[in-house]
Amino acid sequence: MKKVMKPTISTLAALLMIFAGTTVFAQQSDYQVQQDYRAEYSEISQDIDSAVSSDDVSQISDAINQLEAEYSGYEELLNAALYPETFQGQISDLRESLSGTENNIVAVEELNERIAQLQSEMEDLRNQIVQMDEEASALRQRMDRSASNERRLSALVTQYRQNIEARDAFVNDFLENLLSKYQSMDVQTQSDMAEASESMDDNPLALIQTVLSEYINQADQESNLTAPDYIRMRAQHAYFGDVWDSIGERLANTYASESPVQARQEITDLLSTWEASINNKLWNSISTDFNQNGIELPSFSSSDEFATALNTFVDNSIETAAEQNDQADLDLFQSFSDYWNNTVKADWGEYLVNGDVLTQGDIAEVDVKLGDWARNAEPVSNLMFILFLISLAVILGLIVLLVTKKS
Amino acid sequence: MAKPKLLTLSMCVALLFGAAACGPSLVLQGVDYAQPIESVLSPNSNAEVHDQRYAVKFNLSPVLEEEGVSSVDQVRLIRNSAGYYFLTAAGFNNVYVFAPDESELSLETKINITGSGLQQPAFNQRNGQIELVDMATGDTYNLDQNGRR
Repeated sequence: MKKVMKPTISTLAALLMIFAGTTVFAQQSDYQVQQDYRAEYSEISQDIDSAVSSDDVSQISDAINQLEAEYSGYEELLNAALYPETFQGQISDLRESLSGTENNIVAVEELNERIAQLQSEMEDLRNQIVQMDEEASALRQRMDRSASNERRLSALVTQYRQNIEARDAFVNDFLENLLSKYQSMDVQTQSDMAEASESMDDNPLALIQTVLSEYINQADQESNLTAPDYIRMRAQHAYFGDVWDSIGERLANTYASESPVQARQEITDLLSTWEASINNKLWNSISTDFNQNGIELPSFSSSDEFATALNTFVDNSIETAAEQNDQADLDLFQSFSDYWNNTVKADWGEYLVNGDVLTQGDIAEVDVKLGDWARNAEPVSNLMFILFLISLAVILGLIVLLVTKKS
Repeated sequence: MAKPKLLTLSMCVALLFGAAACGPSLVLQGVDYAQPIESVLSPNSNAEVHDQRYAVKFNLSPVLEEEGVSSVDQVRLIRNSAGYYFLTAAGFNNVYVFAPDESELSLETKINITGSGLQQPAFNQRNGQIELVDMATGDTYNLDQNGRR
């Protein structure tokens, strides 16, 4: 009995549904259909405009498919209502519009990813810089405490120097990374980054300021550093300046879009302060180093004056050697030549040029003069004079002998 | 023999003039005036409605007077394939069928639908006829310019 009942009930239900459907169809208003369609179309259009994620795009795509399926039975009616547009034309428009939005969203999501990555990089960089600064500070304190113990102080200075070199290498990597990222950045990406970076706690511009502040602090400290350390700092400053010249404008426009000129000026001022701090120590330290090697240069406080002092010293030495030609001149020449070739050129040469302390031309000029100095410093030999005297005596002897024989 | 000839000639001339007097006659058959979807129009303060899409504008006052109402929010208007306009509104008891004429719509038929007023009327174009649906009650009526079908 149940078996008979079941199909009867399901058949009844099916009939009821068909009847209900027919009733609904019978009660349909074409006008209402097109109004409903327009409302749904409009809602989807608004959703497309306000979509912000890939999930939104996916949901809207489903909604378009559903709209198409729901109203494809009314295509003729809708074509008449929508004239001169068509139902399929509008569905295509929706899909095209969604595709454009999807592309924008993908671009924004990629940008957000880049910002998140940048944020993470910035945090890592700042942590490492802070750590290095702390190490440098600790080393400086230990050097102060060990001032009386020369051996220990020397070891700490070496360690401090290594800390500076490691920091320079780290900063250079950071700068190269910035160069590769921002040197060829187009205006649109720059603008997108500027907008997205507003939410960043840290940014490359702020990090550069931190790095420069520590560089200034480092150069200002009394830390037993010597000429090569300050020459190296000049080279580092010059590299930093070059990188800033290349990407400073882009960085300022990207990360300080509201006041880029002021942001650029702040960094430029810090670079100038850093250079002044280095120069305060550099010229004295170079002069001291030359003195320690027996070379008394006239005083100097700039690149040009340093080059002039070198040339003056060499010119005077050549003149003295030409006049006196004694062993002391030769010794001074040897001393200068060794120091110039083995220390100044070999150890400092690259940094001198990169840091604009001396130009290649300045170095070449001294090299040429060293040749003159070598010739003038070399003591002149008496052998030829003795041979001349002997020859003269022999000739005179022969003449006397001949005259004596004739007479 | 001359009389019948003259008569025939006169008749031919008369026929010729008669035909010329009628002028050129050109009729396009099978014109379909059907609006695919009804227009839902809101009267202005002067009871005028203007269907921008199908370019027809008229004053509703005589119909309102006929229905005994002072105003309506919206009227529903549709044209069948024969070219007759069907007009009704919520609260109306009738559907008014108008034939277009020179600067006027003249009542062709007044089709009584209900005595209690339509609640949510809507017109559909269905197979050459006009379907009137009262969405509130589900009642459906098939109409043409002559009345209910």
